[in-house]
Amino acid sequence: MRVISLCLLLASAMGRAQSDPLIAGMKAYARGDYPAAERELRRSQDPQAITFLALTLAATNRCDEAMPSLAKGFNSAESSTQRLAGLAVAQCHISAARFDEATPILSQLKAKFPGDADVLYVSARLHMRAWNDALYQLYKASPSSYRVNQISGEILETQGQFAAAASEYRKAIEKNPEGLNLHFRLGRALLMSSHEPATLETALHEFEAELAHNPRDAVAHYQIAQILLAQDKVTEASARLERALQLDENFPEALVALGKQRLTDKRNEDAVRLLSRAAELQPKSETAHYNLMLAYRNAGRLDDARREKDKLEAIQKPPDGGFTDFLKKLGEKPPAK
Amino acid sequence: MKFAILVLAFFQAAAPLYVPEFEDIAERAGLVHTFPNGGTVSKQYIIETTGSGAAFLDYDNDGRLDIFVASGEGAPSRLYHNEGNNRFRDVSTAMAITRTGWAQGVCAGDYDNDGYIDLFVTYWGRNALYHNEAGKRFRDVTEQAGLLQERVRYNTGCAFVDYDRDGRLDLFVANYLKFSFEETPKPGANPYCWYMQMPVNCGPRGLPFDRNILYHANADGTFTDVSVKSGIAAPNQSYCLSVLTGDFDNDGWPDIYVACDQTPSLLYLNQHDGTFREEALLRGAALNEDGKAMSGMGASAGDYAHTGWLSIFRSNFSDERETLYRNNGRAEFEDITLAAGMGRNTRFVGWGCAFFDFDNDGWRDLALVNGHVFPEVDRKQTDVRFKDRRILYRNIQGKFNDISEQAGSGILARHSSRGLAVGDIDNDGTLELLINNQGDRPSLLKQASRPPDHWVVLDLKGTRSNRSAIGARVVLTAAGLKQIDEIRSGGSYLSQNDLRLHFGLGSATRTDSIEILWPSGTRQTLSNVEGGRVVGITEPATGK
Repeated sequence: MRVISLCLLLASAMGRAQSDPLIAGMKAYARGDYPAAERELRRSQDPQAITFLALTLAATNRCDEAMPSLAKGFNSAESSTQRLAGLAVAQCHISAARFDEATPILSQLKAKFPGDADVLYVSARLHMRAWNDALYQLYKASPSSYRVNQISGEILETQGQFAAAASEYRKAIEKNPEGLNLHFRLGRALLMSSHEPATLETALHEFEAELAHNPRDAVAHYQIAQILLAQDKVTEASARLERALQLDENFPEALVALGKQRLTDKRNEDAVRLLSRAAELQPKSETAHYNLMLAYRNAGRLDDARREKDKLEAIQKPPDGGFTDFLKKLGEKPPAK
Repeated sequence: MKFAILVLAFFQAAAPLYVPEFEDIAERAGLVHTFPNGGTVSKQYIIETTGSGAAFLDYDNDGRLDIFVASGEGAPSRLYHNEGNNRFRDVSTAMAITRTGWAQGVCAGDYDNDGYIDLFVTYWGRNALYHNEAGKRFRDVTEQAGLLQERVRYNTGCAFVDYDRDGRLDLFVANYLKFSFEETPKPGANPYCWYMQMPVNCGPRGLPFDRNILYHANADGTFTDVSVKSGIAAPNQSYCLSVLTGDFDNDGWPDIYVACDQTPSLLYLNQHDGTFREEALLRGAALNEDGKAMSGMGASAGDYAHTGWLSIFRSNFSDERETLYRNNGRAEFEDITLAAGMGRNTRFVGWGCAFFDFDNDGWRDLALVNGHVFPEVDRKQTDVRFKDRRILYRNIQGKFNDISEQAGSGILARHSSRGLAVGDIDNDGTLELLINNQGDRPSLLKQASRPPDHWVVLDLKGTRSNRSAIGARVVLTAAGLKQIDEIRSGGSYLSQNDLRLHFGLGSATRTDSIEILWPSGTRQTLSNVEGGRVVGITEPATGK
């Protein structure tokens, strides 16, 4: 980050003599020689030196002394100076655990420098530190809370330790039997923890338990339908999917799953209707487009089928499935509508 | 009358099903050599993961199936002669099959119609066409047949197929990807070199694609690469492994299905003019039911539900379901894995697979062999293992029931298996399974007892068609069931099944009828053929 911005700034100062303390100070800063940078920049009378001295101070853990000059630099009209100063201000706030103050600075930087790797990196650090800090407070303040077990389960899931995650969710349920989403997460973790068919039944009970707390949970109905399909209980699975769609008519995964059942039942026009809606809601869903293609094919609408095939091939071009699958495995529910 | 039918139906339904007990007789049969394929604790390169196949073939026309087992680097591939009484003798040196290297696939066919079955072995590196010299020895004729390749290729599955029905066997060779020890990244080098948070060998994702090859057989015993003009070369964005030929649209011309790893599988439909059109996606045989590419490894074709159309089974990776594509007619497929009773064995990485009728009830069952590509997975101590058992599905009137746990020690034994071939080594009407296990001796699974139902084996010889009768379609009717099958080279995972066709006849001791559509277009009908034996059938010299 420093190198690119400094190149710009150095280029703008190229007319100066090499012995100019501003140039010498910027070069020393660029190579990480902060004592030399501070020495040179303090000698300079140039207004730019004030910002670079502040950057140097911030880099050597003297944020309090640096902050007034960095704040001025962040408000500068010169975008490279604004960017560097803004990043330093954000870093200082993060180091001092002032996450609420870092957040608006980084929001401004992201708006002004979209896609900038340094800005995104510092943003990621902010959230990571904020996450760690909140987690620490949670563990310290309420170590026996069910929330500690819940969050532990979620962390273990991201590490692929599904059996351990399931164990944490069970502890959370023991402490708070009425807690929403706990049975759902447990069901998901169980499904991920084992390839044994018997696990399906155990997971199904957990989704049913979730529905006992929240009968309008369309996603739980959908998960049960998936299990029933795996158990070849097609009629019951279809009923669950229909229920899920009664609760949320714009639930793309349920539309696709029911569309697939209609396809199997040779109810091609029903399948087309359901899958078309799913493809509208999720234009990038390969599952929706693939099954819509088959529905058109089976209905004898070959031109429509070929059009869907083209769309599917366009979607499938980039081989970036791995990370998407990883996210799916986290078992996140779609955002509430 | 109605009462009598009901009573009969009750007794039929209540009759206990025959339970097979498969034993591994390889060691006492003389299959004692180890066939290496790279590391057994850790594999550094993808080339160590994909090999190798196995074959049943009768190279000396003595009526008994012999065995070929392909080997990875470090030991030669071997040929074993069937001595009778379930004993085999290593004849590799005497028969001049001594080559070492990274052998992958094997397929058989009498490409010069001299009455002796020839052998083609694919390699990472130079392939080998072995001409059978009247059953006395094999001669490597790769170069003179024009089958040398211009560079090192990662050849995998292969099949002899008379795609233009001119009476000569052409040759299809699948290619996996472009690989070299020098240029392929090391484990952990990029995101495609990790599995379960462990650095593992890289690929196939991240490694360059290659393309498949079709060789046309010339009248003089040489082959010409027609990949481009036939349309075979065109789709080159898939990592291809197994080759499965068959007339999937019942138009009388052979089509070619290719199982591909982490990329869409391919279905080349024969256009009857020397070209193919790849249509797997629209036909519903490229992806799974969610429109996602699976890690296709092996493939088998069978009319498991007596619909008159060949369906396709494909084995896949762990955390994926195996895939059963039902052919709904005219080569329009539907993924019905779950509805057919499969799809619950998701911990296995599947390879060789075969529809076969182990109990002779007239319904084709299915065997599947397994083994992970990453030996490192054992360190994680999950239920996913480098060496795992086999799977046996019983076909009950078109639905499959996993009976592996009851099917004997041969099914339950754990190996890292790849190739699987099916054949009847002792002509007793029960089928044996030959399995190539990585870094281990092969398995030869034989049933401890014979099923009660009846059978017939058809041994077809072409005259106007290719001598091996590869591509011949048989429709056999017995005990009220109409079964179809075809003689095919290659298939399963890089392997070769018995070129003779085995049919279970259920309670019938004779067939009602046998209709044969020969590749030449000749139709032949036989009726009232007695079962319980191998029946030789020669293509009529004339007739339509």
